[in-house]
Amino acid sequence: MSVNSELARLLEHPAIWRGTSVARTETLPTGFGALDERLPGRGWPRSGLIEILVSRFGVGELTLLLPALAALTRRPMARWCVWVAPPLEPFAPSLAAHGVVLERLLVIRPPAAHRRGSRNGILWAFEQSLGSGACDIAMAWARRPRAKEIRRLQLAAERGRTLGVLFRPQQAARESSYAALRMTLVPCAHGVRVTLLKSRGGVRGSVDLSLQGATHALHGG
Amino acid sequence: MRPRIVQRMNETVSKLPAGSPSSEATLLRSVHAADAPVDSPELWLGVHIPDPGAVSLERLATSAQRFTPRVSLVAPDGLLLEVKGSLHLFGGTDGLIRALANECGTVGIEPAIALAPTPLAAMVAARAGKPFIVTNKAQLIGRLSAVPLAPLRWPQDVVERLARMGVRTIGQALRLPRAGFARRFGPEQLAELDRLTGRNADLRHHFQPRERFRRRRELTYELESNEALLAVLAPLLADLGKFLQERQCGITELECRLRHRHAPPSRCILRLAAPLAQVARLTELLGERLSALTLPEPVRSCELRSGLPVLRVLASNPLWQPGEYGGSGGPEAPELIERLRARLGHEAVYGLQMLAGHRPENTWSIREPAPVNGSRAAYDAGSRSTPFQSTQAVPPSSSLSASAWPAFRRPLWLVHSPQQLEEVDGVPRRRGALRFFGDVERIETGWWDGGDVGRDYYTVFDIYGIQLWIFRERAEPHRWFLHGVFG
Repeated sequence: MSVNSELARLLEHPAIWRGTSVARTETLPTGFGALDERLPGRGWPRSGLIEILVSRFGVGELTLLLPALAALTRRPMARWCVWVAPPLEPFAPSLAAHGVVLERLLVIRPPAAHRRGSRNGILWAFEQSLGSGACDIAMAWARRPRAKEIRRLQLAAERGRTLGVLFRPQQAARESSYAALRMTLVPCAHGVRVTLLKSRGGVRGSVDLSLQGATHALHGG
Repeated sequence: MRPRIVQRMNETVSKLPAGSPSSEATLLRSVHAADAPVDSPELWLGVHIPDPGAVSLERLATSAQRFTPRVSLVAPDGLLLEVKGSLHLFGGTDGLIRALANECGTVGIEPAIALAPTPLAAMVAARAGKPFIVTNKAQLIGRLSAVPLAPLRWPQDVVERLARMGVRTIGQALRLPRAGFARRFGPEQLAELDRLTGRNADLRHHFQPRERFRRRRELTYELESNEALLAVLAPLLADLGKFLQERQCGITELECRLRHRHAPPSRCILRLAAPLAQVARLTELLGERLSALTLPEPVRSCELRSGLPVLRVLASNPLWQPGEYGGSGGPEAPELIERLRARLGHEAVYGLQMLAGHRPENTWSIREPAPVNGSRAAYDAGSRSTPFQSTQAVPPSSSLSASAWPAFRRPLWLVHSPQQLEEVDGVPRRRGALRFFGDVERIETGWWDGGDVGRDYYTVFDIYGIQLWIFRERAEPHRWFLHGVFG
């Protein structure tokens, strides 16, 4: 008994991090209670790279992030919210209606000449945004980032205290990745099924989310 | 025990037994008459440099501007500093002279320094090489009397004629009758004596440092790789950083010239949106440019030339780190945009704004990214009414939509120009059959600006479970278009 209590006291030391509890990392609620419960620290990490793998573009990945985007851009002294190479135009009135402050949004569209090869403008712009310290969140839609590049992105995000979100196709689930958090999104009956593939200190597994409900709840119908 | 020797400015040598209770400081303070009250309107420090070596007078003058803005060159081997206003900043005459001697010591120069109320007297006394610190105008002539005539650097025949008359010191020359002196030795010499004693004003040109930075480095070898260029340029960039720091300035333009054996020089010009002085960032931006440069031949020498320096207004650093407790991006925000635009082009980076309109494509547009202080203003506005209630900080432009637009009926993504869908028997298809869902919404007209539309909007699911926003034209031939993805 006394040994146990002594051990417990020792484990309270702030330098000791335990596998399943990373409550000391700063997090941001996702706006979806069921998802929060599964994530380490009960929310999106405030810095670091997460990967969202989608079965198809538009499955609900942006709706999943909307509450976080709204919360981050509405903070006093908010930093940039960067969109690197989004596939379509972010529809400003709809974002504003969900509470996102448009003044804080920055869209980066590398020209076609910068999209391929060794000087890949998308990954470069994403890394610059993550590492600059000028962004709260940066999202990128990149085609085929390599493992080494993802490692660089993860380090940049930690350096800049930025949440980096990388959207990739579901096929990438088979590859290994340095991202702190990886999840796949597939449509289900009333929303999306989120499967946590990798979650440092969190619980793996699937959870079904109703995106419509969340959107309505945010605005009271 | 060995006696300790305290020596200062080659002037006062005092011996005191080690362990003597009187400290150096008190001893030194008692030595000088220089601490007498200063009654002269100006005080000049004459610096004579007997052996300048490789250091140019301009470079010394630039360093000397640390002590006073009024620095004059006395070619070929002297500097004059007007230091009346700076004395209290450097701990009086002693402190100032010591600091100046240290400054010269860093470049390997041992100067002779003298202090006097007139510039010429200071210069002449410094050349004479004897200790000379006079802060009181009344004592000047008395102290100058013993100084020989040679440091005045008069023409040789004048000095010789004076010597034949038995006049060898300044004091003796001053005692000669003025009219006769001017007649025999020329009015210039008399005027010089008047300036020496402060009888006539002695106006000096102030040294103006070079306006632009320009430095070149010759290489003893031929350099072929772009990567090594930055390492070669590093000392030049460090010099540039020092140059800018001394002036509290930044630059908006920097040119790097690389010379080759035969081909014309390669030039690489860096233009900046805001004045910049940090060497690290200049290096980073220059490296970005150099890596894109194709060299026709190996590089034999490189040169950096700056544009006109611009006075920099320094901002305070925030208390918090960016992202910490609401710490804002601060200076990083414009830097990021600048860096992105330098590589991807100006149009590649933009912000979004809402417009008053009813057709989806007319309700938004791109804009210049909002300035950083926007967030600060929003923060101030928010904190005045209800501190830390972030809803207050939402600008009015975005609340415009909340009532007019039912959020759940608009997609998050808009297709820039509507994409026509294939149809089978009047029913639209996209990668398979579409499942209709929810109500239909009609958006029409726009005759006043030529953008007349008539559309019935539907929400559909495709076979992959993606929610799409499509419309059917009201006019013939009733085509179907994809206009948005709910995402």
